Amino acid sequence: MATLTEAPPPPTPTAPEKKPPRRRGRFTPYWLLLPGILWLLVFFALPMIYQASTSVQTGSLEEGYKVTWHFVTYWDALSGYWPQFLRSVAYAAAATVLCLLLGYPLAYLIAFRAGRWRNLIMILVIAPFFTSFLIRTLAWKTILADGGPVVGALNTLHVLDVTNWLGWTAGDRVLATPLAVVCGLTYNFLPFMILPLYTSLERIDGRLHEAAGDLYAKPWVTFRKVTFPLSMPGVVSGTLLTFIPAAGDYVNADLLGSTDTRMIGNVIQTQFLRILDYPTAAALSFILMAAILIMVTFYIRRSGTEDLV
Amino acid sequence: MTTVTNKNTEGSGDVRLSGIGKTYGSFTAVHPLDLTVPQGSFFALLGASGCGKTTTLRMIAGLEEPTSGTVHLGDQEVTRLPPYKRPVNTVFQSYALFPHLDIFENVAFGLRRRGIKSVKKQVEEMLDLVQLGEQARKKPHQLSGGQQQRVAVARALINHPKVLLLDEPLGALDLKLRRQMQLELKRIQTEVGITFIHVTHDQEEAMTMADTVAVMNAGRVEQLGSPTDLYENPDTTFVANFLGTSNLIEAEVDSRSGDEIVLKAGGGKLVLPEARCSAPTTTGGKVLVGVRPEKITLTHADEAGEIPAGRNRITGKIADSSFIGVSTQYVIDSPVCPEFEVYAQNIDRDARLVPGADVVLHWNPAHTFGLDAAMDIDAGTEEEAAV
Repeated sequence: MATLTEAPPPPTPTAPEKKPPRRRGRFTPYWLLLPGILWLLVFFALPMIYQASTSVQTGSLEEGYKVTWHFVTYWDALSGYWPQFLRSVAYAAAATVLCLLLGYPLAYLIAFRAGRWRNLIMILVIAPFFTSFLIRTLAWKTILADGGPVVGALNTLHVLDVTNWLGWTAGDRVLATPLAVVCGLTYNFLPFMILPLYTSLERIDGRLHEAAGDLYAKPWVTFRKVTFPLSMPGVVSGTLLTFIPAAGDYVNADLLGSTDTRMIGNVIQTQFLRILDYPTAAALSFILMAAILIMVTFYIRRSGTEDLV
Repeated sequence: MTTVTNKNTEGSGDVRLSGIGKTYGSFTAVHPLDLTVPQGSFFALLGASGCGKTTTLRMIAGLEEPTSGTVHLGDQEVTRLPPYKRPVNTVFQSYALFPHLDIFENVAFGLRRRGIKSVKKQVEEMLDLVQLGEQARKKPHQLSGGQQQRVAVARALINHPKVLLLDEPLGALDLKLRRQMQLELKRIQTEVGITFIHVTHDQEEAMTMADTVAVMNAGRVEQLGSPTDLYENPDTTFVANFLGTSNLIEAEVDSRSGDEIVLKAGGGKLVLPEARCSAPTTTGGKVLVGVRPEKITLTHADEAGEIPAGRNRITGKIADSSFIGVSTQYVIDSPVCPEFEVYAQNIDRDARLVPGADVVLHWNPAHTFGLDAAMDIDAGTEEEAAV
């Protein structure tokens, strides 16, 4: 920091200089914030503004696009693609619930019962991340392959009859059905559920369990009245970390689904990269974002986690 | 197997531990012990950390399963019952209040779990008993340590348990608050009349609060009795040193006269009432003679002649003295014991009693107690604990 100041008068030997120490550190926090703010500005704020303006443009690729405040694009996008919106929310919600059902017991096990196996299980949870998202999703194609062992087993156990009846699968197939997409989403986002759950469960003082037991709570009641309420911060952040990316995901629907399982992410991807209808794609993105924001706000309010922190 | 049973006759609500023990692998936390806590008493389990007192408490609570023996609450055997089926409640060390529930709900927790619907009146009464009526809607973290401690007591007491177990409940409080809470707990116990079993490492706390104290050491009950009894008549060197301070002198049995034993220590003779000696005394055998520091009078060597006859006396030189207000504590270097402690009330201070002065220590023989010389003379002292 270069500052121009007059040279201080030479200190007199009798009266030592008593100038208050210059507060050099006053601007340091802002300097430290700068890289982050710049990053957000360039890679978040500017693209957002650009997309917002794109969404209200009209024109064509050949003639170029112009901002004409054509808000009708939003209405057209919504009316044209609302089934995909609903489907995205439904699939993401199903995947989130499945993640919670699968992840909670595992996180509980790691936090309270694993003992010296704790680190090993944690590594196993995270290990799949070392391979590409795409490859892991493709692997599910093999797992759920027609006539494969999984489908065969489901068929023998008459599970497919139930899922067919529910409309989750079709005939003898699992691949290219809603069930396959939800399976893929669940698998891919499970660690995002387990890690926050584990963190909040692990913070719970074990003596609270003893105290609940001492106060006549059976193990299940202890879980309902003490453990689960105290793990709510983990449940909320886990479900958000699962639901938000799952709602916008298109890889799972693309690789494991069919044209009947297209999610809004697929639509946006097609609009942007194949049809090259940028305004519609941008409008869809904004609608998705707004919808998620509204749902998340409502959810956080309802779960009342502010109270727990 | 240690067998210590209280003299009281068994009542319907007594806590009876028979041969109860706990081992973890090859480590024995609690040696099989028998213990009866009479109904309605304030009972303290006293001992240094790791002596097995908390494990014993947790076995009564059902939080730990005993390796051997049985636990009876009154006529009911509860050894294998899970904690939520036992009519006992615990005040946990550091309280373990439910952070997501307010004070009211914390206190109501036990009642609600037992399916009691209208809890309001009971909870309010209980909060009044512990003087927290105003704080009902606060969360635990908004209360001070002392208040949290009272919530923990209220939360346990509201269930009217047969026994209330307190696991070092005052450990986290500062000294002044601790004294206050000791009296408070004692008041509550007298008021509700429930059996309290209190685990503590603080001998002063145990002695102020409890009717009966069991001193535990290395997984065994060393001695059980009233605080006065333990203090005046310790059975073992551990109790003698752990409860307050004792001066222990190794002496040889010289002769007996009536119910008194005459002992030789150093050059002099000491008299010990036979009733106060827990060790076998055969002529020529060794015993440890003990006397509490406050029982001793110090007289300057020049006035040794004025000491009344019939008192036990020892000569020595003052090695150190420290003034602590109500009393002065002297350390005397004597031929029979290198660090003899004497506490003298500051009533008429003799100005000659300064380090270096030759003194005579004397006390009433009735205050002497005798212990088995085979025991470790340093058991239970702070020096030993530091090792």
